[in-house]
Amino acid sequence: MSEEKSERKKGMGEAEEVREILGVVSTQIPALIRGVVGAVFSEEAGKDMGRAAGAFYKELRESGMPEDVAVKMTQNYIGVFTSLGDMLKEAVSGKGKRVHINVGKEGEEEIGEEIARKIKEKIAEKTERE
Amino acid sequence: MVKIQDLLSIASSIVRITGSLLILWATFGWKVRKTRRAFERELIRQGMSKEDARELSAHYKVLKDQLTSTLIQALRR
Repeated sequence: MSEEKSERKKGMGEAEEVREILGVVSTQIPALIRGVVGAVFSEEAGKDMGRAAGAFYKELRESGMPEDVAVKMTQNYIGVFTSLGDMLKEAVSGKGKRVHINVGKEGEEEIGEEIARKIKEKIAEKTERE
Repeated sequence: MVKIQDLLSIASSIVRITGSLLILWATFGWKVRKTRRAFERELIRQGMSKEDARELSAHYKVLKDQLTSTLIQALRR
């Protein structure tokens, strides 16, 4: 009987936990995606990138580069964009290079604490701003 | 037993996430078109031909496809 009660309590605790996690995730994830998308895909971002690529192209043309070569070089310049997508893909799939720094057990703990401190600071900053 | 309130809250969170992602997905194409147009306009202003500008702006479409597939891949995990 008491076992059943503790199981029930455990189930309730888990449901509450899931509810809390989903509550945060449901606002944070879409905001994060919106931020990433907005940084690259907006009229302003397009204009800025166009201005940079255009200036690059214009400079090449003015220095006497043939048109097709200038276009090709500008295309390579813009190609950095595509590599950004590749980078994201690698980061998500975990195929990217991993750097391992050997700092020992104590060092790891220190780094962990430092990261936790920084995250807390950022959260506090954000909540203050909001 | 799980509280009905918790279940309702979980369901509403899932609906909220799905709705937000659907809206994002639906407006993504429109945002890409707008960005491409602004990008092309700037290139044309600097003296590039319309065709070349259009060809260069195709990178945005490639990036869009990559981002979409990355997101889908991440959500599947």
